[in-house]
Amino acid sequence: MPLPLPAVLWLSIALVVISQVMILRSTVRAMRAATSAQARRGIEWAYAVGPVIVLALVLVATWQASQAHAIRLELEAKASQSVAP
Amino acid sequence: MTAPAAAAREPSLARDLIALTKPRIISLLLLTTLAPMFVAGTPSWSVILWTGIGGYLMAGGANAVNMYLDRDIDVLMSRTKLRPIPSGRLSARTVLAFGIAIATAATWVLGHFVNVLTSALALAGFYFYVFVYTRWLKRTTPQNIVLGGAAGAFPPLVGWAAVTGRVDLASLYLFLIIFYWTPPHFWALALLKQRDYGTAGVPMAPNIWGERETIDQMLWYSILLLGLSILPVTFGVFGLFYQASALALGGILLLGVWRVRARALRGESWTAVAWSVYKFSLLYLALLFVAMAIDRHL
Repeated sequence: MPLPLPAVLWLSIALVVISQVMILRSTVRAMRAATSAQARRGIEWAYAVGPVIVLALVLVATWQASQAHAIRLELEAKASQSVAP
Repeated sequence: MTAPAAAAREPSLARDLIALTKPRIISLLLLTTLAPMFVAGTPSWSVILWTGIGGYLMAGGANAVNMYLDRDIDVLMSRTKLRPIPSGRLSARTVLAFGIAIATAATWVLGHFVNVLTSALALAGFYFYVFVYTRWLKRTTPQNIVLGGAAGAFPPLVGWAAVTGRVDLASLYLFLIIFYWTPPHFWALALLKQRDYGTAGVPMAPNIWGERETIDQMLWYSILLLGLSILPVTFGVFGLFYQASALALGGILLLGVWRVRARALRGESWTAVAWSVYKFSLLYLALLFVAMAIDRHL
């Protein structure tokens, strides 16, 4: 039996957020380990954080879209019940 | 080798010009352009045809200009030293002119026969690949292919815009899926070609961060990709068929990366598994996009 959509939403968001945190952690560790010639820390940090900001905005938009989708499904279910004899 | 087979492999101008466009790579780019068109709606044959032609020419132009810009390092790497410029079969100027000419043609084809947004998005992908990835990121940061992955993620936006005339949340997800697929895909190859990249002075993650950190990040990117690929289901873009496909394909990719990591941790050889991860990652993306198109028409 498939999971309900809110459960799918929060499980997927949890996977995405935990993975992104671990990627950032790993990048910071790698930057610290790199030699000074290779490490341009400010810009490397910006490269790592840029996609995180975009991803956060997309996750907020996803939450809003999933709420709207749930309301739409509920209205459709009510409409079909009221039409049924 | 038989005479016809030998003749078929002999260099010719036509064969070199086609090689400049990297047709094998473009086949996947075209799939990720055309499949989203069937997710976005029911495109006409003429829109499919012109988007396909324009997409090929734009990506081919970007690849040719990339070969022009990378001619100094292509000669140093075994993987690239047989390309038309390093092998001396074509001059650098010819390659640059060819790349610019077909990218210009692509801009016109897409703008004239499809729509202006499609043309603008394809051109943005060209500029991102040539200037942001090749000229800026590739030789300056081990995160080159993380951010550079955006260049390869433009095709779904192009396909989506060709059908709908706009870009929305669903199309952004297709973009992000390719963006987050790129690190585990490309680093699997970079792990195997470390010596080549080291010789050419390209700061790929395995050369700068080391194998262990790169493999760890491949694992986390694969988990992130799995979660991300499921999310469009939650706002009604895809249904159960896609959800099951994304889970199965993402699970196989994750298992492959896990096996590379487990072997590396045990001190065993992981090269064969890394190669299989690289090959499967290509199949992963193709099958995921086919599953999207099928799901929308079930």
